[in-house]
Amino acid sequence: MDKLLLGRYIQGDSLVHRLDPRVKMILCFYFVLIIFLCNNWQSYLLLGIVTLLSVLLSKIDLSYFVKGVMPLIWLILFTVLLQVFFTRGGPTYWQFGPLTLTQFGLVNGFYVFCRFVLIIFMSTLLTVTTTPLAIADATESLMQPLKKLKVPVHEIALMLSIALRFVPTLMDETTKIMNAQRSRGVDFSEGSLISRIKAVIPLLIPLFVSALTRAEDLATAMEARGYRGGEGRSKYRVQVWHLQDTLALVFFFLVTLALIFLRN
Amino acid sequence: MAIQLEKLSYTYQAATPLAQQALKDVSFTIKDQSFTAIVGHTGSGKSTLLQHLNGLLKPTSGRLTVNGQVITPATKNKELAKLRQEVGFVFQFPEAQLFEETVLKDIAFAPKNFGATEQEAEKIAREKAQLVNLDESVLERSPFELSGGQMRRVAIAGILAMSPKVLVLDEPTAGLDPSGRAEMMALFKRLHEKEKLTIILVTHQMNDVANFADQVLVMESGRLLADKTPAELFSDPGWLKKHHLNLPQTTAFAQRLVERGMEFAQLPLTEHELAKVLATKIKEAEGENG
Repeated sequence: MDKLLLGRYIQGDSLVHRLDPRVKMILCFYFVLIIFLCNNWQSYLLLGIVTLLSVLLSKIDLSYFVKGVMPLIWLILFTVLLQVFFTRGGPTYWQFGPLTLTQFGLVNGFYVFCRFVLIIFMSTLLTVTTTPLAIADATESLMQPLKKLKVPVHEIALMLSIALRFVPTLMDETTKIMNAQRSRGVDFSEGSLISRIKAVIPLLIPLFVSALTRAEDLATAMEARGYRGGEGRSKYRVQVWHLQDTLALVFFFLVTLALIFLRN
Repeated sequence: MAIQLEKLSYTYQAATPLAQQALKDVSFTIKDQSFTAIVGHTGSGKSTLLQHLNGLLKPTSGRLTVNGQVITPATKNKELAKLRQEVGFVFQFPEAQLFEETVLKDIAFAPKNFGATEQEAEKIAREKAQLVNLDESVLERSPFELSGGQMRRVAIAGILAMSPKVLVLDEPTAGLDPSGRAEMMALFKRLHEKEKLTIILVTHQMNDVANFADQVLVMESGRLLADKTPAELFSDPGWLKKHHLNLPQTTAFAQRLVERGMEFAQLPLTEHELAKVLATKIKEAEGENG
């Protein structure tokens, strides 16, 4: 699997990398919320500039983010086309049965496109500058209030971090087994749909076998060391709130004010 | 079936922020029906190199010739597939590739992929099972019920079923007990001598290098460091030490005798050689004294 794993953490030392993962998560979700405040080109331009600025601050190549959009491009285009052809209003340029091409439609289509791209850029920025483990820790920390409602927060976070931890391992395993079966003459990339689905069986069975073995080994290892989660367990990685984190929150608050001012 | 590499380089995830050069200008020739060992530390590029030999990877630059078939960066993926039948690749822990309901079906998997009929494939599978000393009684059992050593032999039989001319082995004895290891190496020796297979073995076991190989390639940080015979390689303990490689047990033993003043015309590689030299020395000594 020589292809780039999209959104994978890239090591670096930038302001964005150093931000507290909790802040980055909050802001990422917050960004998705405030983007729905946008309803004219000025407000989209503002958020576009904010996004580009954040990307620049991360010192990670912009092309990397553009590549992140590519896997979703069909979904985006489909949604955009729906908007373009089914929105009515303004001067009509073209009409065919239920399909219309209107000014509102074109404008809305463009806005939807911007919305998708900006959201993808921002979430890529989160995963590219934050290690999966830091994200899991941040999730646990942010979910603390749910403990009052008897939600097993620690267990959920543990499941999340174990799942994230094993993504690369399983990727490696997949590559290895794919190579082994390719060496035995399986062609994963060619042939009819049925033959391709058939080709997946020699990949999936060994993968499941090894994943189950691994899970069992991990459980045994944790039990052998007396693992007991939750209450009273201290942490090796402690997340500390810095001034820059507060500033980032303030910055996004100001952006929100500006947005409210700009929208009509 | 000769294999020739000319200035082969390979970069993982080329043209991305994660680009990593794994092989740099590697050139060597492996002769037909030879037994070549590749040694080097983890991350030295051995596995990447092996994956080129059966067309799983394509060089980023340079060229590779296997039995007249030339592979360059411009080669189409379809043509690479042809290599796979000629070069059988036994991966590290090959038992991970087993998936069929029965051992027989699993061994017959490769020939079926390369166009054999059900009956032909089964016939081949039975032959190859015999070749790797698998008992007739396990053929109808699930491969997941077998012992580790047996599973590995099933996996190897599954590769041999393609009737490759070259067998590439990536640490085939890892994780086996000493008797399993000895059995496995005896199997490869048999395949080399009786079936006339060209064998390429990646290993950390210098004893196996000394006992079986007639050519050694040493890899370090993606480069080919040495291309020698085992005798040449192990005659320079200083060089080996510098590159953090071990001597085979026998040679290490002889080396210690040298340190105590004994002289060897050439450091012995195998137990047999060492025993022979020591026997003559003892006889000489007895002759002088008596």
